[in-house]
Amino acid sequence: MIIRLPMSIAAAAILGGCAAGPQAPTPSHNHVHQMEPPATSLPGESLYQLPADLDSATGDHVALASLAGTPVVVAMFYSSCTTVCPMLTLQMQRFEAALDPVERFRVRFVMISLDAERDTPSKLAAFAAEHHVDASRWVIAHAAPANVRSIAAALGVRYRQLPDKSFSHSALITLLDSRGVPVARTQLLAGDDPAFMAALRASLR
Amino acid sequence: MTTDGTGMACKALAVVGWLLCTAAATAADRVPVPGGEFTPVIAPGPNAKTVTIASFDLDRRPVTNAEFLSFVRASPQWRRDRIPALLADQSYLAHWSGPQTLGPSAEPEQPVTHVSWFAARAYCAAQNARLPTWYEWEYTAAADGTHRDARQDPAWRERILGWYAVSAARKVPPVGQGAPNVYGIQDLHGVVWEWVEDFGGLMVSGDSRTQGDPDKLQFCGAGALSTDNREDYPILMRVAFLSSLEARFTTSSLGFRCAAGNTP
Repeated sequence: MIIRLPMSIAAAAILGGCAAGPQAPTPSHNHVHQMEPPATSLPGESLYQLPADLDSATGDHVALASLAGTPVVVAMFYSSCTTVCPMLTLQMQRFEAALDPVERFRVRFVMISLDAERDTPSKLAAFAAEHHVDASRWVIAHAAPANVRSIAAALGVRYRQLPDKSFSHSALITLLDSRGVPVARTQLLAGDDPAFMAALRASLR
Repeated sequence: MTTDGTGMACKALAVVGWLLCTAAATAADRVPVPGGEFTPVIAPGPNAKTVTIASFDLDRRPVTNAEFLSFVRASPQWRRDRIPALLADQSYLAHWSGPQTLGPSAEPEQPVTHVSWFAARAYCAAQNARLPTWYEWEYTAAADGTHRDARQDPAWRERILGWYAVSAARKVPPVGQGAPNVYGIQDLHGVVWEWVEDFGGLMVSGDSRTQGDPDKLQFCGAGALSTDNREDYPILMRVAFLSSLEARFTTSSLGFRCAAGNTP
């Protein structure tokens, strides 16, 4: 159902193609991403050991492992959240803005919805538009409920859906290095975060 | 009593009957739990007290070492020498004598322990099943031999607390020796702690209302723990334990069982 062979990451990476690539996805990029190293070469701590797939707001199927290759700033959220999630988004955009243009081009920003039921790709597309995220670097994604739980578990995001369908969740931003290994985390949602920025810049070296 | 009988028979026929008994136990392994209205010890949310549990099936007993060994043999990526660090910590299956051998510290009929949430989930998925949700587990574990909800009964409470008092010191008993509850399910208390699918949602600090006050626990802290419901204590112990875990953690007293139906 959910967790299959870690080997399947390699297959999933091929199927996922370049949907999440830093460039706008076109079929001609697919062969490039098929060349990505197989999952077996990823460190054991890599988030990409999870054979989980995402569906992006742009309607693309994104294998988690296909994010390998650049540092990734990742958080979990839900689009109807009016309190913390906008701050999460804003804080990630603040990190983005603090990078110089060359650095910026080399970082991917990924937001994965906890609300598998209601955050459809079209809802997420509206969220992306509302927050003016740069679609060439940002992936706003939906995942199957079982994948949401495994990704949250791997990231250490604790969450719980309340009877009114809202979520209580840890507001956590994680930095993954280019091989998917978590190298920094922050729960600071406002103001400067020099430690996280330093880790982000270090991951680009 | 029939389940106890099966266990006894398995022991008596140790060699010849082993395969037969294992097959019988496996076939009868999952039993239906009729749904119902339930008041969990931790309120599901502000201004909400009850949850509705849909009918589902739950394993009669925790998954055993023997069963988990079969799974690991069929799915070698879950061997302790092959599993990625993301999915299990270093003590994963550490009590087995080898990656595919139980050895003297892991009897076949003992519940498997030293398993991570990811591994427990993968096992259940391989049986076309899933881990139970916390509410499903709590709902089923509230029963005794005759009542669906025995939580007000001091005897129910004392039995569980008695186990908490000794669990760290003694050897984990084999599965199937506890008295079946009203559903016919055994060993929910008294053998091992058990993973649930949504262990990560048990004690969450409220994201919005406690921003800037990360130590304040929205549900457990503000709600249930401040009540005087002493009878909730055995279950709150579970909640506290599960909420302290990370998905890759493994411990010597933490196992699991699978559920089916009503995929969450």
